[in-house]
Amino acid sequence: MEVEVDEKDLKAAGAELLPDGRRGLRIHGWEIESRNRSILTSLNFQQWEEKLQTSHLPEMVFGDSCLVLKHVSSGTKIHFNAFDALAGWKQEGLPPVEVPAAAQWKFRSKPFQQVILDYDYTFTTPYCGSETIEIDAEHGRVEVSERSSSLHWEDCKEQIDVVALASKDPILFYDEVVLYEDELADNGVSLLTVKVRVMPSSWFLLLRFWLRVDGVLMRLRDTRMHCVFGDGLNPIILRESCWREATFQALAAKGLPSDSAAYSDPSIISQRLPVIMHRTQKLKVPGSL
Amino acid sequence: MSDLDRQIEQLKKCEPLKESEVKALCLKAMEILVEESNVQRVDAPVTICGDIHGQFYDMKELFKVGGDCPKTNYLFLGDFVDRGFYSVETFLLLLALKVRYPDRITLIRGNHESRQITQVYGFYDECLRKYGSVNVWRYCTDIFDYLSLSALIENKIFSVHGGLSPAISTLDQIRTIDRKQEVPHDGAMCDLLWSDPEDIVDGWGLSPRGAGFLFGGSVVTSFNHSNNIDYICRAHQLVMEGYKWMFNNQIVTVWSAPNYCYRCGNVAAILELDENLNKQFRVFEAAPQESRGAPAKKPAPDYFL
Repeated sequence: MEVEVDEKDLKAAGAELLPDGRRGLRIHGWEIESRNRSILTSLNFQQWEEKLQTSHLPEMVFGDSCLVLKHVSSGTKIHFNAFDALAGWKQEGLPPVEVPAAAQWKFRSKPFQQVILDYDYTFTTPYCGSETIEIDAEHGRVEVSERSSSLHWEDCKEQIDVVALASKDPILFYDEVVLYEDELADNGVSLLTVKVRVMPSSWFLLLRFWLRVDGVLMRLRDTRMHCVFGDGLNPIILRESCWREATFQALAAKGLPSDSAAYSDPSIISQRLPVIMHRTQKLKVPGSL
Repeated sequence: MSDLDRQIEQLKKCEPLKESEVKALCLKAMEILVEESNVQRVDAPVTICGDIHGQFYDMKELFKVGGDCPKTNYLFLGDFVDRGFYSVETFLLLLALKVRYPDRITLIRGNHESRQITQVYGFYDECLRKYGSVNVWRYCTDIFDYLSLSALIENKIFSVHGGLSPAISTLDQIRTIDRKQEVPHDGAMCDLLWSDPEDIVDGWGLSPRGAGFLFGGSVVTSFNHSNNIDYICRAHQLVMEGYKWMFNNQIVTVWSAPNYCYRCGNVAAILELDENLNKQFRVFEAAPQESRGAPAKKPAPDYFL
Protein backbone atom coordinates (compact mmCIF):
# COMPACT_ATOMS: atom_id res chain seq x y z
CA MET A 1 0.00 0.00 0.00
CA GLU A 2 3.03 2.27 0.29
CA VAL A 3 2.75 5.27 -1.98
CA GLU A 4 5.87 6.13 -3.89
CA VAL A 5 7.42 9.26 -2.50
CA ASP A 6 10.34 11.06 -4.00
CA GLU A 7 13.24 10.74 -1.55
CA LYS A 8 14.63 14.07 -2.73
CA ASP A 9 11.33 15.85 -2.03
CA LEU A 10 11.26 14.41 1.47
CA LYS A 11 14.82 15.43 2.21
CA ALA A 12 14.37 18.92 0.80
CA ALA A 13 11.33 19.40 3.04
CA GLY A 14 13.18 18.18 6.10
CA ALA A 15 10.80 15.27 6.46
CA GLU A 16 11.40 11.63 7.26
CA LEU A 17 9.14 8.62 6.89
CA LEU A 18 8.11 6.80 10.04
CA PRO A 19 10.16 3.68 10.78
CA ASP A 20 9.12 0.05 11.35
CA GLY A 21 6.59 -0.15 8.54
CA ARG A 22 4.38 2.52 10.07
CA ARG A 23 2.60 4.71 7.55
CA GLY A 24 3.31 8.38 7.88
CA LEU A 25 6.06 10.89 8.38
CA ARG A 26 7.69 13.45 10.65
CA ILE A 27 7.80 16.99 9.40
CA HIS A 28 8.29 20.40 11.03
CA GLY A 29 7.64 19.11 14.53
CA TRP A 30 4.58 17.06 13.51
CA GLU A 31 4.28 13.32 13.48
CA ILE A 32 1.52 12.26 11.08
CA GLU A 33 0.43 8.65 10.99
CA SER A 34 -2.40 6.67 9.44
CA ARG A 35 -3.54 3.14 10.20
CA ASN A 36 -5.83 1.07 7.97
CA ARG A 37 -7.03 -2.06 9.72
CA SER A 38 -9.79 -4.68 9.42
CA ILE A 39 -13.36 -4.25 10.60
CA LEU A 40 -14.14 -5.14 14.21
CA THR A 41 -14.46 -8.81 15.12
CA SER A 42 -17.84 -9.94 16.44
CA LEU A 43 -16.46 -9.91 19.98
CA ASN A 44 -15.10 -6.36 19.77
CA PHE A 45 -18.26 -5.31 18.02
CA GLN A 46 -20.27 -6.44 21.06
CA GLN A 47 -17.93 -4.61 23.41
CA TRP A 48 -18.37 -1.40 21.43
CA GLU A 49 -22.14 -1.82 21.57
CA GLU A 50 -21.92 -2.06 25.33
CA LYS A 51 -19.56 0.90 25.67
CA LEU A 52 -21.68 3.05 23.41
CA GLN A 53 -24.88 1.74 24.98
CA THR A 54 -26.48 0.80 21.71
CA SER A 55 -27.57 -2.40 20.04
CA HIS A 56 -26.83 -1.06 16.57
CA LEU A 57 -23.57 -0.13 14.90
CA PRO A 58 -22.60 0.24 11.24
CA GLU A 59 -21.93 -3.19 9.74
CA MET A 60 -18.38 -2.17 8.89
CA VAL A 61 -16.63 -0.47 11.77
CA PHE A 62 -12.92 -0.01 11.17
CA GLY A 63 -12.33 0.29 14.88
CA ASP A 64 -8.54 0.12 14.84
CA SER A 65 -8.07 2.42 11.89
CA CYS A 66 -7.18 6.02 12.56
CA LEU A 67 -5.39 9.14 11.47
CA VAL A 68 -3.22 10.90 14.05
CA LEU A 69 -1.47 14.25 13.72
CA LYS A 70 0.71 14.92 16.70
CA HIS A 71 2.57 18.11 17.45
CA VAL A 72 5.47 16.46 19.22
CA SER A 73 6.85 19.24 21.44
CA SER A 74 3.48 20.27 22.90
CA GLY A 75 1.91 16.80 22.93
CA THR A 76 -1.12 18.15 21.09
CA LYS A 77 -2.77 15.36 19.20
CA ILE A 78 -5.47 15.78 16.55
CA HIS A 79 -6.92 12.40 15.74
CA PHE A 80 -9.77 10.69 13.94
CA ASN A 81 -11.34 7.43 15.00
CA ALA A 82 -14.61 5.55 14.63
CA PHE A 83 -15.39 5.34 18.33
CA ASP A 84 -15.55 9.08 18.96
CA ALA A 85 -17.50 9.55 15.74
CA LEU A 86 -20.07 6.96 16.81
CA ALA A 87 -20.31 8.55 20.25
CA GLY A 88 -21.25 11.72 18.35
CA TRP A 89 -23.89 9.80 16.36
CA LYS A 90 -25.34 8.40 19.56
CA GLN A 91 -25.51 11.82 21.13
CA GLU A 92 -27.04 13.59 18.14
CA GLY A 93 -29.70 10.86 17.90
CA LEU A 94 -31.52 12.05 14.78
CA PRO A 95 -34.94 10.54 14.04
CA PRO A 96 -34.96 7.75 11.43
CA VAL A 97 -35.44 8.54 7.75
CA GLU A 98 -38.14 6.51 6.00
CA VAL A 99 -37.24 4.88 2.68
CA PRO A 100 -39.64 5.20 -0.28
CA ALA A 101 -40.98 1.65 0.21
CA ALA A 102 -42.14 2.65 3.70
CA ALA A 103 -45.24 4.27 2.23
CA GLN A 104 -46.28 0.93 0.73
CA TRP A 105 -45.40 -0.90 3.92
CA LYS A 106 -47.86 1.16 5.94
CA PHE A 107 -50.63 -0.76 4.17
CA ARG A 108 -49.17 -4.17 4.87
CA SER A 109 -50.89 -6.31 7.43
CA LYS A 110 -48.54 -6.27 10.37
CA PRO A 111 -47.67 -9.32 12.40
CA PHE A 112 -49.05 -9.51 15.88
CA GLN A 113 -46.36 -8.54 18.40
CA GLN A 114 -44.22 -6.20 16.35
CA VAL A 115 -41.50 -3.91 17.61
CA ILE A 116 -40.68 -0.80 15.58
CA LEU A 117 -37.03 0.13 15.89
CA ASP A 118 -36.38 3.84 15.91
CA TYR A 119 -32.65 4.53 16.09
CA ASP A 120 -30.86 6.66 13.48
CA TYR A 121 -29.76 3.89 11.11
CA THR A 122 -27.96 6.42 8.91
CA PHE A 123 -25.23 6.86 11.55
CA THR A 124 -25.16 10.59 10.87
CA THR A 125 -22.51 12.17 13.08
CA PRO A 126 -21.51 15.76 13.90
CA TYR A 127 -17.97 14.46 14.51
CA CYS A 128 -15.23 16.83 13.42
CA GLY A 129 -12.20 15.18 14.95
CA SER A 130 -10.80 14.55 18.41
CA GLU A 131 -8.06 16.38 20.22
CA THR A 132 -6.01 15.53 23.27
CA ILE A 133 -2.80 16.59 24.90
CA GLU A 134 -0.53 13.66 25.41
CA ILE A 135 2.19 14.11 27.99
CA ASP A 136 5.11 11.77 27.81
CA ALA A 137 5.56 11.11 31.52
CA GLU A 138 8.40 8.99 32.71
CA HIS A 139 6.12 6.07 33.51
CA GLY A 140 3.94 5.80 30.48
CA ARG A 141 1.72 8.32 28.83
CA VAL A 142 -0.97 10.46 30.34
CA GLU A 143 -3.74 11.69 28.10
CA VAL A 144 -5.58 14.84 28.91
CA SER A 145 -8.87 15.31 27.16
CA GLU A 146 -9.94 18.47 25.40
CA ARG A 147 -12.10 19.77 28.22
CA SER A 148 -9.52 19.70 30.94
CA SER A 149 -6.75 20.97 28.73
CA SER A 150 -6.04 24.29 27.15
CA LEU A 151 -7.08 23.16 23.67
CA HIS A 152 -9.82 25.44 22.49
CA TRP A 153 -11.30 25.91 19.03
CA GLU A 154 -12.43 29.49 18.62
CA ASP A 155 -14.66 30.85 15.88
CA CYS A 156 -12.75 32.92 13.37
CA LYS A 157 -13.07 34.81 10.12
CA GLU A 158 -10.01 33.36 8.39
CA GLN A 159 -10.69 30.90 5.62
CA ILE A 160 -8.66 27.97 4.47
CA ASP A 161 -6.42 29.15 1.64
CA VAL A 162 -7.82 27.07 -1.21
CA VAL A 163 -5.71 28.82 -3.82
CA ALA A 164 -2.51 27.81 -2.06
CA LEU A 165 -3.84 24.29 -1.68
CA ALA A 166 -4.65 24.07 -5.36
CA SER A 167 -0.98 24.55 -6.27
CA LYS A 168 0.72 21.33 -7.20
CA ASP A 169 3.34 21.17 -4.47
CA PRO A 170 4.73 17.69 -4.15
CA ILE A 171 2.66 15.44 -1.89
CA LEU A 172 5.02 13.88 0.63
CA PHE A 173 2.38 11.74 2.27
CA TYR A 174 -1.14 10.82 1.30
CA ASP A 175 -3.65 8.39 2.70
CA GLU A 176 -7.34 7.74 3.05
CA VAL A 177 -8.78 6.00 6.09
CA VAL A 178 -12.31 4.60 6.23
CA LEU A 179 -13.67 4.87 9.78
CA TYR A 180 -17.05 3.26 9.27
CA GLU A 181 -19.42 2.28 6.52
CA ASP A 182 -22.92 0.93 6.27
CA GLU A 183 -24.86 -0.11 3.18
CA LEU A 184 -28.18 0.74 4.85
CA ALA A 185 -29.30 -2.79 3.89
CA ASP A 186 -28.90 -1.84 0.22
CA ASN A 187 -30.85 1.39 0.59
CA GLY A 188 -27.89 3.64 0.00
CA VAL A 189 -24.63 4.38 1.74
CA SER A 190 -23.35 5.84 4.97
CA LEU A 191 -19.61 6.39 4.94
CA LEU A 192 -17.18 8.22 7.18
CA THR A 193 -13.66 8.68 5.82
CA VAL A 194 -10.70 10.95 6.38
CA LYS A 195 -8.15 11.85 3.71
CA VAL A 196 -4.87 13.57 4.39
CA ARG A 197 -2.11 15.06 2.29
CA VAL A 198 1.14 16.52 3.52
CA MET A 199 3.07 18.98 1.39
CA PRO A 200 6.42 20.71 2.12
CA SER A 201 4.62 23.79 3.46
CA SER A 202 1.46 22.46 5.14
CA TRP A 203 -0.80 19.54 5.94
CA PHE A 204 -4.40 19.37 4.86
CA LEU A 205 -7.15 16.90 5.64
CA LEU A 206 -10.78 16.25 4.81
CA LEU A 207 -13.06 14.33 7.12
CA ARG A 208 -16.22 13.46 5.24
CA PHE A 209 -19.49 11.94 6.33
CA TRP A 210 -21.43 10.94 3.23
CA LEU A 211 -24.99 9.67 3.34
CA ARG A 212 -27.31 8.73 0.54
CA VAL A 213 -30.66 7.20 1.35
CA ASP A 214 -31.79 6.07 -2.10
CA GLY A 215 -34.75 8.06 -3.34
CA VAL A 216 -34.93 10.13 -0.17
CA LEU A 217 -32.00 12.35 0.75
CA MET A 218 -28.29 13.03 0.71
CA ARG A 219 -26.22 14.49 3.46
CA LEU A 220 -22.62 15.63 3.27
CA ARG A 221 -20.80 16.79 6.36
CA ASP A 222 -17.28 17.91 5.55
CA THR A 223 -14.62 19.05 7.96
CA ARG A 224 -11.41 20.40 6.51
CA MET A 225 -8.30 21.20 8.51
CA HIS A 226 -5.27 23.06 7.31
CA CYS A 227 -2.05 23.80 9.11
CA VAL A 228 0.72 25.86 7.53
CA PHE A 229 4.18 25.03 8.82
CA GLY A 230 5.80 28.06 10.44
CA ASP A 231 8.57 28.15 13.01
CA GLY A 232 7.03 24.97 14.44
CA LEU A 233 6.46 26.31 17.96
CA ASN A 234 2.87 27.54 18.04
CA PRO A 235 1.15 26.32 14.92
CA ILE A 236 -2.37 27.42 14.11
CA ILE A 237 -4.86 24.93 12.70
CA LEU A 238 -7.81 26.20 10.70
CA ARG A 239 -10.93 24.09 10.70
CA GLU A 240 -13.83 24.57 8.33
CA SER A 241 -17.01 22.57 8.72
CA CYS A 242 -19.55 22.59 5.94
CA TRP A 243 -22.79 20.62 6.05
CA ARG A 244 -24.86 20.11 2.96
CA GLU A 245 -28.17 18.36 2.58
CA ALA A 246 -30.84 17.87 -0.08
CA THR A 247 -33.79 15.62 -0.70
CA PHE A 248 -34.11 13.83 -4.02
CA GLN A 249 -37.44 15.60 -4.37
CA ALA A 250 -35.81 19.03 -4.11
CA LEU A 251 -33.15 18.04 -6.67
CA ALA A 252 -35.81 16.80 -9.09
CA ALA A 253 -37.70 20.09 -8.65
CA LYS A 254 -34.56 21.91 -9.78
CA GLY A 255 -34.37 19.72 -12.86
CA LEU A 256 -31.36 17.77 -11.57
CA PRO A 257 -31.16 13.99 -11.91
CA SER A 258 -33.01 12.11 -9.21
CA ASP A 259 -31.74 8.56 -9.69
CA SER A 260 -29.35 7.24 -7.07
CA ALA A 261 -26.81 6.06 -9.64
CA ALA A 262 -26.11 9.71 -10.51
CA TYR A 263 -24.96 10.31 -6.94
CA SER A 264 -22.29 7.72 -6.32
CA ASP A 265 -19.35 10.10 -5.87
CA PRO A 266 -19.94 12.92 -3.38
CA SER A 267 -16.93 14.95 -4.55
CA ILE A 268 -18.51 15.34 -7.99
CA ILE A 269 -22.00 16.33 -6.88
CA SER A 270 -21.34 18.22 -3.65
CA GLN A 271 -22.04 21.60 -5.27
CA ARG A 272 -25.58 20.48 -6.08
CA LEU A 273 -26.39 20.13 -2.41
CA PRO A 274 -27.28 23.36 -0.62
CA VAL A 275 -25.19 24.37 2.39
CA ILE A 276 -27.10 24.21 5.65
CA MET A 277 -24.24 24.97 8.05
CA HIS A 278 -20.84 26.55 7.65
CA ARG A 279 -18.37 27.36 10.39
CA THR A 280 -14.71 28.27 10.55
CA GLN A 281 -12.65 27.85 13.68
CA LYS A 282 -9.03 27.89 14.65
CA LEU A 283 -6.91 26.19 17.24
CA LYS A 284 -3.73 27.72 18.56
CA VAL A 285 -1.52 24.85 19.48
CA PRO A 286 -0.08 25.68 22.92
CA GLY A 287 3.64 26.08 23.46
CA SER A 288 5.94 23.28 24.46
CA LEU A 289 5.30 21.67 27.80
CA MET B 1 -14.74 -30.24 -26.10
CA SER B 2 -18.26 -28.84 -26.31
CA ASP B 3 -18.94 -25.11 -26.65
CA LEU B 4 -20.22 -25.08 -23.11
CA ASP B 5 -17.10 -26.74 -21.70
CA ARG B 6 -14.96 -24.30 -23.62
CA GLN B 7 -17.00 -21.39 -22.23
CA ILE B 8 -16.58 -22.70 -18.70
CA GLU B 9 -12.80 -22.90 -19.21
CA GLN B 10 -12.81 -19.36 -20.54
CA LEU B 11 -14.89 -18.03 -17.65
CA LYS B 12 -12.61 -19.78 -15.16
CA LYS B 13 -9.86 -17.53 -16.50
CA CYS B 14 -12.10 -14.54 -15.76
CA GLU B 15 -12.64 -13.86 -19.45
CA PRO B 16 -16.22 -12.83 -20.23
CA LEU B 17 -18.23 -14.50 -23.01
CA LYS B 18 -19.40 -12.85 -26.21
CA GLU B 19 -22.78 -11.19 -26.06
CA SER B 20 -24.30 -13.80 -28.39
CA GLU B 21 -22.93 -16.58 -26.18
CA VAL B 22 -24.45 -14.96 -23.09
CA LYS B 23 -27.80 -14.81 -24.84
CA ALA B 24 -27.69 -18.50 -25.77
CA LEU B 25 -26.49 -19.50 -22.30
CA CYS B 26 -29.30 -17.59 -20.63
CA LEU B 27 -31.89 -19.25 -22.87
CA LYS B 28 -30.62 -22.69 -21.88
CA ALA B 29 -30.50 -21.73 -18.22
CA MET B 30 -34.05 -20.50 -18.37
CA GLU B 31 -35.26 -23.90 -19.55
CA ILE B 32 -33.66 -25.52 -16.51
CA LEU B 33 -34.58 -22.92 -13.89
CA VAL B 34 -38.21 -22.67 -14.91
CA GLU B 35 -38.67 -26.29 -13.83
CA GLU B 36 -37.32 -25.67 -10.34
CA SER B 37 -39.55 -25.28 -7.33
CA ASN B 38 -39.64 -22.17 -5.15
CA VAL B 39 -38.39 -24.52 -2.46
CA GLN B 40 -35.85 -26.45 -4.48
CA ARG B 41 -35.05 -29.93 -3.14
CA VAL B 42 -31.34 -30.49 -2.57
CA ASP B 43 -29.65 -33.76 -1.61
CA ALA B 44 -26.71 -34.10 0.76
CA PRO B 45 -23.77 -34.06 0.62
CA VAL B 46 -23.80 -30.42 -0.33
CA THR B 47 -21.68 -27.33 0.27
CA ILE B 48 -23.57 -24.13 1.06
CA CYS B 49 -22.15 -20.73 0.04
CA GLY B 50 -23.26 -17.22 0.94
CA ASP B 51 -22.79 -13.85 -0.79
CA ILE B 52 -20.10 -13.60 -3.51
CA HIS B 53 -20.69 -10.05 -4.82
CA GLY B 54 -18.61 -10.22 -7.96
CA GLN B 55 -15.39 -11.09 -6.13
CA PHE B 56 -14.39 -13.55 -8.84
CA TYR B 57 -10.88 -14.37 -7.64
CA ASP B 58 -12.18 -14.99 -4.13
CA MET B 59 -14.80 -17.34 -5.55
CA LYS B 60 -11.95 -19.25 -7.16
CA GLU B 61 -10.46 -19.56 -3.68
CA LEU B 62 -13.85 -20.88 -2.58
CA PHE B 63 -13.69 -23.61 -5.23
CA LYS B 64 -10.13 -24.43 -4.20
CA VAL B 65 -11.29 -24.93 -0.61
CA GLY B 66 -14.61 -26.62 -1.39
CA GLY B 67 -13.59 -28.60 -4.48
CA ASP B 68 -14.62 -28.21 -8.09
CA CYS B 69 -18.15 -28.53 -9.38
CA PRO B 70 -19.40 -31.19 -10.31
CA LYS B 71 -17.24 -33.22 -7.91
CA THR B 72 -18.68 -31.14 -5.08
CA ASN B 73 -22.42 -30.47 -5.01
CA TYR B 74 -23.03 -26.74 -4.40
CA LEU B 75 -25.82 -24.55 -3.15
CA PHE B 76 -25.31 -20.79 -3.58
CA LEU B 77 -27.59 -18.52 -1.58
CA GLY B 78 -27.64 -15.55 -3.95
CA ASP B 79 -25.99 -12.12 -4.21
CA PHE B 80 -23.65 -13.19 -6.99
CA VAL B 81 -23.41 -9.68 -8.40
CA ASP B 82 -22.76 -6.02 -7.44
CA ARG B 83 -20.06 -4.37 -5.30
CA GLY B 84 -17.09 -6.38 -6.63
CA PHE B 85 -15.20 -5.87 -9.92
CA TYR B 86 -16.25 -9.08 -11.71
CA SER B 87 -19.99 -9.55 -11.40
CA VAL B 88 -20.28 -10.51 -15.07
CA GLU B 89 -17.70 -13.29 -14.96
CA THR B 90 -18.86 -14.50 -11.55
CA PHE B 91 -22.51 -14.85 -12.48
CA LEU B 92 -21.82 -16.29 -15.93
CA LEU B 93 -19.48 -18.94 -14.55
CA LEU B 94 -22.07 -20.03 -12.00
CA LEU B 95 -24.77 -20.01 -14.66
CA ALA B 96 -22.63 -22.00 -17.11
CA LEU B 97 -21.95 -24.58 -14.39
CA LYS B 98 -25.68 -24.72 -13.73
CA VAL B 99 -26.42 -25.44 -17.39
CA ARG B 100 -23.61 -28.00 -17.63
CA TYR B 101 -24.31 -29.77 -14.30
CA PRO B 102 -27.91 -28.89 -13.34
CA ASP B 103 -28.06 -31.48 -10.57
CA ARG B 104 -24.73 -30.53 -9.01
CA ILE B 105 -25.24 -26.83 -8.42
CA THR B 106 -28.26 -24.93 -7.13
CA LEU B 107 -28.51 -21.17 -7.40
CA ILE B 108 -31.15 -19.30 -5.46
CA ARG B 109 -32.01 -15.64 -5.68
CA GLY B 110 -30.55 -12.89 -3.49
CA ASN B 111 -31.87 -9.36 -3.14
CA HIS B 112 -29.13 -8.14 -5.51
CA GLU B 113 -30.49 -10.33 -8.30
CA SER B 114 -32.84 -7.53 -9.24
CA ARG B 115 -33.06 -4.89 -11.97
CA GLN B 116 -33.46 -2.04 -9.56
CA ILE B 117 -30.64 -2.92 -7.17
CA THR B 118 -28.10 -3.76 -9.90
CA GLN B 119 -28.62 -0.34 -11.46
CA VAL B 120 -27.35 1.31 -8.30
CA TYR B 121 -24.72 -1.10 -6.98
CA GLY B 122 -22.50 -1.95 -9.90
CA PHE B 123 -23.67 -4.80 -12.16
CA TYR B 124 -25.45 -2.55 -14.64
CA ASP B 125 -22.43 -0.25 -15.00
CA GLU B 126 -20.09 -3.21 -15.29
CA CYS B 127 -22.13 -4.73 -18.15
CA LEU B 128 -22.23 -1.39 -19.92
CA ARG B 129 -18.48 -0.96 -19.48
CA LYS B 130 -17.54 -4.48 -20.58
CA TYR B 131 -19.98 -4.85 -23.49
CA GLY B 132 -20.71 -1.28 -24.56
CA SER B 133 -24.43 -1.97 -24.27
CA VAL B 134 -26.87 -3.12 -21.62
CA ASN B 135 -28.00 -6.23 -23.52
CA VAL B 136 -26.03 -8.59 -21.27
CA TRP B 137 -27.50 -6.91 -18.22
CA ARG B 138 -30.97 -7.52 -19.73
CA TYR B 139 -30.31 -11.21 -20.42
CA CYS B 140 -28.97 -11.72 -16.90
CA THR B 141 -31.68 -9.81 -15.07
CA ASP B 142 -34.30 -11.74 -17.07
CA ILE B 143 -32.68 -14.94 -15.77
CA PHE B 144 -32.76 -13.57 -12.20
CA ASP B 145 -36.57 -13.76 -12.36
CA TYR B 146 -36.34 -17.53 -12.85
CA LEU B 147 -34.00 -18.24 -9.92
CA SER B 148 -35.57 -20.25 -7.14
CA LEU B 149 -36.37 -18.51 -3.84
CA SER B 150 -35.16 -21.13 -1.38
CA ALA B 151 -33.86 -24.67 -0.99
CA LEU B 152 -34.60 -27.56 1.32
CA ILE B 153 -31.78 -29.96 2.07
CA GLU B 154 -32.90 -33.50 2.86
CA ASN B 155 -36.13 -32.03 4.26
CA LYS B 156 -34.13 -30.85 7.28
CA ILE B 157 -32.30 -27.63 6.46
CA PHE B 158 -34.13 -24.67 5.02
CA SER B 159 -31.94 -22.31 2.99
CA VAL B 160 -32.83 -18.83 1.87
CA HIS B 161 -30.96 -15.60 1.11
CA GLY B 162 -32.48 -13.25 3.69
CA GLY B 163 -34.87 -14.84 6.11
CA LEU B 164 -38.44 -15.38 7.16
CA SER B 165 -41.66 -13.51 6.47
CA PRO B 166 -44.70 -12.95 8.67
CA ALA B 167 -46.75 -13.93 5.61
CA ILE B 168 -45.11 -17.39 5.56
CA SER B 169 -45.52 -20.02 8.21
CA THR B 170 -45.24 -23.15 6.05
CA LEU B 171 -43.01 -24.18 3.16
CA ASP B 172 -46.14 -24.81 1.10
CA GLN B 173 -46.94 -21.13 1.28
CA ILE B 174 -43.57 -20.41 -0.37
CA ARG B 175 -44.36 -23.00 -3.06
CA THR B 176 -47.42 -21.02 -4.13
CA ILE B 177 -45.58 -17.74 -4.79
CA ASP B 178 -45.43 -16.69 -8.44
CA ARG B 179 -41.72 -15.88 -8.46
CA LYS B 180 -41.17 -15.00 -12.12
CA GLN B 181 -41.03 -11.27 -11.61
CA GLU B 182 -38.79 -8.47 -10.41
CA VAL B 183 -38.34 -8.65 -6.62
CA PRO B 184 -41.35 -6.72 -5.24
CA HIS B 185 -41.02 -3.97 -2.62
CA ASP B 186 -43.15 -5.83 -0.10
CA GLY B 187 -44.80 -9.16 0.50
CA ALA B 188 -43.55 -12.69 1.13
CA MET B 189 -41.11 -12.88 -1.79
CA CYS B 190 -39.51 -9.58 -0.76
CA ASP B 191 -39.16 -10.72 2.86
CA LEU B 192 -37.46 -14.02 1.95
CA LEU B 193 -34.75 -12.09 0.11
CA TRP B 194 -34.44 -9.11 2.44
CA SER B 195 -35.24 -9.84 6.09
CA ASP B 196 -32.71 -10.29 8.90
CA PRO B 197 -32.62 -12.11 12.22
CA GLU B 198 -32.31 -9.69 15.15
CA ASP B 199 -31.22 -10.33 18.72
CA ILE B 200 -33.09 -7.52 20.34
CA VAL B 201 -36.56 -8.56 19.18
CA ASP B 202 -38.21 -11.81 20.10
CA GLY B 203 -41.10 -11.78 17.66
CA TRP B 204 -41.19 -9.48 14.66
CA GLY B 205 -39.47 -6.12 14.31
CA LEU B 206 -39.81 -3.40 11.72
CA SER B 207 -36.62 -1.68 10.56
CA PRO B 208 -36.32 2.04 11.34
CA ARG B 209 -36.28 2.56 7.55
CA GLY B 210 -40.00 1.85 7.63
CA ALA B 211 -39.56 -1.18 5.35
CA GLY B 212 -37.88 -4.52 6.06
CA PHE B 213 -38.68 -7.10 8.68
CA LEU B 214 -36.48 -8.31 11.49
CA PHE B 215 -37.27 -11.58 13.17
CA GLY B 216 -36.40 -12.86 16.61
CA GLY B 217 -35.73 -16.21 18.21
CA SER B 218 -39.31 -17.24 18.87
CA VAL B 219 -40.22 -16.71 15.21
CA VAL B 220 -37.43 -19.07 14.17
CA THR B 221 -38.36 -21.66 16.81
CA SER B 222 -41.94 -21.84 15.68
CA PHE B 223 -41.05 -21.88 11.95
CA ASN B 224 -38.53 -24.69 12.43
CA HIS B 225 -40.96 -26.63 14.57
CA SER B 226 -43.97 -26.38 12.31
CA ASN B 227 -41.92 -27.31 9.24
CA ASN B 228 -39.99 -30.04 11.01
CA ILE B 229 -36.59 -28.63 10.11
CA ASP B 230 -33.38 -28.65 12.13
CA TYR B 231 -32.18 -25.16 11.31
CA ILE B 232 -32.21 -22.35 8.76
CA CYS B 233 -29.15 -21.46 6.71
CA ARG B 234 -29.09 -17.95 5.24
CA ALA B 235 -26.62 -15.33 3.95
CA HIS B 236 -27.23 -11.59 3.32
CA GLN B 237 -25.22 -10.14 6.22
CA LEU B 238 -21.49 -9.61 6.52
CA VAL B 239 -19.92 -11.66 9.31
CA MET B 240 -16.29 -10.97 10.20
CA GLU B 241 -15.70 -14.65 11.09
CA GLY B 242 -17.45 -15.99 7.97
CA TYR B 243 -20.39 -17.59 9.77
CA LYS B 244 -22.51 -16.94 12.81
CA TRP B 245 -25.08 -18.99 14.71
CA MET B 246 -28.00 -17.31 16.41
CA PHE B 247 -30.88 -18.28 18.65
CA ASN B 248 -29.35 -21.48 20.07
CA ASN B 249 -28.18 -22.84 16.74
CA GLN B 250 -31.56 -22.50 15.08
CA ILE B 251 -30.26 -20.25 12.30
CA VAL B 252 -26.84 -19.69 10.80
CA THR B 253 -25.53 -16.90 8.58
CA VAL B 254 -22.91 -17.94 6.01
CA TRP B 255 -20.84 -15.25 4.31
CA SER B 256 -18.56 -16.16 1.39
CA ALA B 257 -16.98 -12.87 0.30
CA PRO B 258 -13.58 -12.58 2.05
CA ASN B 259 -12.08 -9.10 2.47
CA TYR B 260 -15.45 -7.73 1.42
CA CYS B 261 -15.27 -4.72 -0.91
CA TYR B 262 -11.50 -5.36 -0.95
CA ARG B 263 -11.00 -3.58 2.37
CA CYS B 264 -12.94 -5.14 5.28
CA GLY B 265 -10.32 -7.74 6.16
CA ASN B 266 -12.94 -10.36 7.05
CA VAL B 267 -12.60 -14.09 6.40
CA ALA B 268 -15.27 -16.03 4.50
CA ALA B 269 -16.88 -19.41 5.10
CA ILE B 270 -18.74 -22.20 3.36
CA LEU B 271 -20.74 -24.90 5.12
CA GLU B 272 -20.06 -28.48 4.09
CA LEU B 273 -22.72 -31.06 4.89
CA ASP B 274 -21.90 -34.73 4.46
CA GLU B 275 -24.42 -37.42 3.55
CA ASN B 276 -25.51 -37.60 7.20
CA LEU B 277 -25.82 -33.81 7.42
CA ASN B 278 -22.77 -33.52 9.66
CA LYS B 279 -21.57 -29.95 9.47
CA GLN B 280 -18.15 -28.60 8.77
CA PHE B 281 -17.47 -24.91 8.23
CA ARG B 282 -14.52 -24.22 5.97
CA VAL B 283 -13.10 -20.77 6.54
CA PHE B 284 -10.97 -19.10 3.87
CA GLU B 285 -9.25 -15.83 3.09
CA ALA B 286 -9.18 -13.59 0.07
CA ALA B 287 -7.12 -14.63 -2.95
CA PRO B 288 -3.52 -13.44 -2.68
CA GLN B 289 -2.79 -10.27 -4.58
CA GLU B 290 -0.54 -11.91 -7.17
CA SER B 291 -3.32 -14.28 -8.31
CA ARG B 292 -5.65 -11.40 -9.14
CA GLY B 293 -5.84 -9.88 -12.58
CA ALA B 294 -6.22 -6.28 -11.52
CA PRO B 295 -3.50 -4.28 -9.80
CA ALA B 296 -3.81 -3.54 -6.10
CA LYS B 297 -6.06 -0.68 -5.15
CA LYS B 298 -3.49 1.85 -4.00
CA PRO B 299 -4.81 5.17 -2.90
CA ALA B 300 -3.43 7.46 -5.58
CA PRO B 301 -2.34 10.75 -4.05
CA ASP B 302 -4.80 13.36 -5.15
CA TYR B 303 -5.00 17.10 -4.68
CA PHE B 304 -8.37 16.94 -2.99
CA LEU B 305 -9.78 20.17 -1.61
